[in-house]
Amino acid sequence: MISKILAIINKVKDNKADELLEVINVNTKLREDCGFDSLDLAELTVRVEREFGIDIFANGNINTVREILEQIK
Amino acid sequence: MVTLIQLGKYLNKLNKSFWVDWTTVYSYNKLLDDLNRIKNFPEICLKKDPYEVFLNLLLSILNNKVIILLDSDFSEEEYSKLMDDGSNISKSFSNEVEVNSTAELIERIRKLNSWKITLYTSGTTGLPKKVIHTFDALTRSVQISEKHKGDIWGFAYNPTHIAGLQVFFQGFLNQNTIVNLFKKPHNEIKVLVDKYKISHISATPTFYRLLDDKDKIFCVRRVTSGGERLDQNTGEKIMSIFPNAKLRNVYASTEAGTIFSASGDTFTILPELNELIKIEDNEIVIKSSLIGIPNFDKEWYNTGDIVEIISKSPLKFRFLNRKNELINVGGMNVNPNEVEETIKSLDGIKDVLVYAKKNSLIGNILCADIIGELSEKDIRLALKNLIQPFKIPRIINFVSELKTTRTGKKQR
Repeated sequence: MISKILAIINKVKDNKADELLEVINVNTKLREDCGFDSLDLAELTVRVEREFGIDIFANGNINTVREILEQIK
Repeated sequence: MVTLIQLGKYLNKLNKSFWVDWTTVYSYNKLLDDLNRIKNFPEICLKKDPYEVFLNLLLSILNNKVIILLDSDFSEEEYSKLMDDGSNISKSFSNEVEVNSTAELIERIRKLNSWKITLYTSGTTGLPKKVIHTFDALTRSVQISEKHKGDIWGFAYNPTHIAGLQVFFQGFLNQNTIVNLFKKPHNEIKVLVDKYKISHISATPTFYRLLDDKDKIFCVRRVTSGGERLDQNTGEKIMSIFPNAKLRNVYASTEAGTIFSASGDTFTILPELNELIKIEDNEIVIKSSLIGIPNFDKEWYNTGDIVEIISKSPLKFRFLNRKNELINVGGMNVNPNEVEETIKSLDGIKDVLVYAKKNSLIGNILCADIIGELSEKDIRLALKNLIQPFKIPRIINFVSELKTTRTGKKQR
């Protein structure tokens, strides 16, 4: 599951020519560690929803990979 | 006998903070020094640093010269299209005014009546639309009183947009400290608000949605939401994060400034604007005297904002959606036609459809269906040089044909 999240995060990063992440863990922070702003987070939401069918921000804010995993499990 | 100027100088010694950006603090004295030091200032302001924007703005007002305020992230392409009316980037004015105190500065600014500012907003024709405002129109909603002297403002809008200018004037004309929150990482917002004991914040629902649900911020007394529709969930989140704050919801447009405000999502028309605003076929229509579009020759201006009438007398209504095609992305209006034209200008693109998809974080996310040979990354990177970042579609789908309506028009 986490490897799919890494692929989605890297897709968002690649689209803006950011350096890709080699590894993430449950504590990886979307803003600080991935460098995501509000538009990046919105894009991440759509891509996660496409893969898992869940709108991760529907129930509130998401800050870490752990919180994404909790929403989609 | 102590003159007003001497009193002003004495007050200056107290050296109140004017603008705070991270740990850099610009006092009102520093502002005065800079205003007196600068010999020339440009007519077209393209500055990125908000403090520089405010300096340029105040110099233009003090010298009663027009100013054209542009987003610093306009691409060269966008900029050259906007300026093809003969405006000259190198035109500047000499600063012929000296001010001795903040009180004198504010007094001079409030006395001016012929100063004008030009802003640009997303138009329906494909190019940003020019809007010209007077000082009175720009500061219509500003409240100046002893009650507001101690306010500390969190500044969360682009300083070159009307909402940012309104917050700036509300803070500046009351000699408040204004703390920059615009484009700051959201995990730093609570830190900055607590550190500088911010009492007032005005921002888009998207700004508030990005705050941590678990945060509690006690020093803020007034929260204002504007720029996009405030949904119930976000309203509840705001009240939970700012338990000591009153929430105000405002409706403002670049064309007309602030027109309505409400404590929830049901708006009424202010009595003094009763004759100037009406609702026709559920659309808000504004008298032309309230709007700043040059050469607008009709009596009424159709805003494109569609409302649901809750009660007719007194008139109460709720915002539903927009009649025109503008897409609100986190409080910024995007014209899909402008984006489509730009994408079509890229080599290898045959056709494109730009549309909105609802998004729980920023209201709407911009998507594009494209018939073409470039990759998503290539298109996004090429667009970075041509249009502002918020106008770039974040989801691109490659298709073999575009959705059309029964009449053959593209369907968003």
